[in-house]
Amino acid sequence: MAPPVAVSPLIKTARWSALLLGMLYGKQRFDYLKPIAEEERRVEEAEKKLREEQERIYKQLSEANSDTILK
Amino acid sequence: MAQAVQKLVSKVPSLIGAAVTYSKPRLSTFWYYARVELVPPTPAEIPKAIEGASNLIKAFQTGRLGQTTVKDALRNGLVATEVLMWFYIGECIGKGSLIGYNV
Repeated sequence: MAPPVAVSPLIKTARWSALLLGMLYGKQRFDYLKPIAEEERRVEEAEKKLREEQERIYKQLSEANSDTILK
Repeated sequence: MAQAVQKLVSKVPSLIGAAVTYSKPRLSTFWYYARVELVPPTPAEIPKAIEGASNLIKAFQTGRLGQTTVKDALRNGLVATEVLMWFYIGECIGKGSLIGYNV
């Protein structure tokens, strides 16, 4: 087995500080995106209810207006 | 069906034993290298790292960087890419998932 190579301290500090910075960045971005996603979900819920209500009314109207003998 | 499941469940301890026996030497080689190469820098090494970074900047300023061979340049590029990948792994750890943000 080849002996382990002595890694230069610059590379070592760069690696582990990149890891730390990445963790901080990931946590920060997650905390930033979380309320935005919740807001979007809430808005989507409200809009969906409205749309379903309209579709229901439309269906009822179309059923009432369609006159066929196959009732 | 139930018999097949029973046979599988009875084989699990031997499977785990086989997995451990297989992975032990590989784990030991991994530790053998990782204990020297992957450890975080001790506080004594940080000034050396800063010195190395300033050497790099000086080499860039004096134009000595233009004299690196293609082989050296490729090797340095590979090392830089590896350092960049550690950033992305840190981001995966920070956001708590592997793919995408689970908001």
